[in-house]
Amino acid sequence: MQIKQTAMAGTLESSDIQIMLSQGEKGITFDLTSDVKKQFGDAIKKTIQDVLASYQIDDVMVKVVDKGALTPVIKARAITVVQRAMDQKDQPNWEVL
Amino acid sequence: MTDKVAELYLFNPRVKKTWQTFLTKKGIPVFSDQEVDQIDQTIGLFDEKNRLVGTGSIAGETIKYIAVEDEPNGPAGARFNQLVSSLEASLAQSGHFHLFVFTKPTYEHSFAHVGFNTLAKTKQGLILEKGTPNIQSFREQLPKKPNTAKRVAAVVLNANPFTKGHRYLVEQAAKENDWVYVFVVNQDVSLFTTKERLALVERGLSDVKNVCVANGGDYMVSYLSFPAYFIKDHDRAISYQTTLDAELFKEQIAGPLGIQVRYVGTEPDSPTTKRYNEALQAVLPKEVLVKEVPRLTQADGKQAVSASSVRQAIKDNQFSSIVALVPKTTAHFINEHWQTLRGKMMKGQNQHAD
Repeated sequence: MQIKQTAMAGTLESSDIQIMLSQGEKGITFDLTSDVKKQFGDAIKKTIQDVLASYQIDDVMVKVVDKGALTPVIKARAITVVQRAMDQKDQPNWEVL
Repeated sequence: MTDKVAELYLFNPRVKKTWQTFLTKKGIPVFSDQEVDQIDQTIGLFDEKNRLVGTGSIAGETIKYIAVEDEPNGPAGARFNQLVSSLEASLAQSGHFHLFVFTKPTYEHSFAHVGFNTLAKTKQGLILEKGTPNIQSFREQLPKKPNTAKRVAAVVLNANPFTKGHRYLVEQAAKENDWVYVFVVNQDVSLFTTKERLALVERGLSDVKNVCVANGGDYMVSYLSFPAYFIKDHDRAISYQTTLDAELFKEQIAGPLGIQVRYVGTEPDSPTTKRYNEALQAVLPKEVLVKEVPRLTQADGKQAVSASSVRQAIKDNQFSSIVALVPKTTAHFINEHWQTLRGKMMKGQNQHAD
């Protein structure tokens, strides 16, 4: 499935993560900026991929600027950005949450 | 973090004064109307004693006038990140997910750190972007050149409107190359709108087979629109703007698309265009050749065919003299929209280059 609109969630402040989703046609592509990319890059991507999978999104461009966010923060930001991108902010997906 | 973000209303003279003083202290000295008038929103960052410690502004989809005073013992860059974050959130709320930054080379690193990509740089300043659609998507949506095309050229036109002179330039390029990209400058400050100019170029070149006409998008605009708020000297600002434009073309357009030659018309009359051509000559070779083609002249053999003489004729209500200067397709369009064009001209929306 594709997303409906470009969306962004999170900030660039320390311990947070900024995630932007925009329309893509070539599967899930990542553009990740992080000081700890070497150590945690794959783990960050995995957390976001899991959220995308639970919403059945398989074609999307994901731009991530990580400022040292912990996994629950990444998950929360990912859920928010997906809900915004699917234009269903007011219909939380309880099964995912 | 106890810093607060608040909107700065620059129409309030006192607020504007504080803002200017802060920026001047931070080495940003230019507050010309040309730069300041385009600002849509300015935000400020205030510390616990309510002192201004950071500011940034949005103009369209561009971030400018950004400056931050780091906390003496605090983490470096924290305030900068908070500020950029707020500006991005504010743009996102109004539906903009793509932004540019024009700034001094010293800030390149700070912006790269929050996810910006450098598009082109000069010694005096650089342009970065973040978000989508970006330069990659721009290049991907362009018509593909045939695989057999070996010699590839490009022409960038404002075409306000498309004349026989423009056609002559493109024809030269088409004769000497296998494939020619014609980019039309995307800016609605001209007498003819971008849509109209694009359509006139397409129609006027429809019989030339190895040419593709494309909108220049955000990447081919008038270099005069590049913010230069951080360069005080006017002369240096122009040299920065023209060089940056040339670098942008070389790095992001010519290189990836395999363009080997850029064709430009000689400019005997306009000093700014002359400087622009000089900048192209200085930056593009050896990767890209710059070929200056002498301008097509009018019947008298002296005066160059130019879009400005067409606009002058519209102003003077002289349709008959236009016919000799433009292809039939453009003449037809001008004839059909004569009253509208004259109306616009009388309001003085004409002050823009070819």
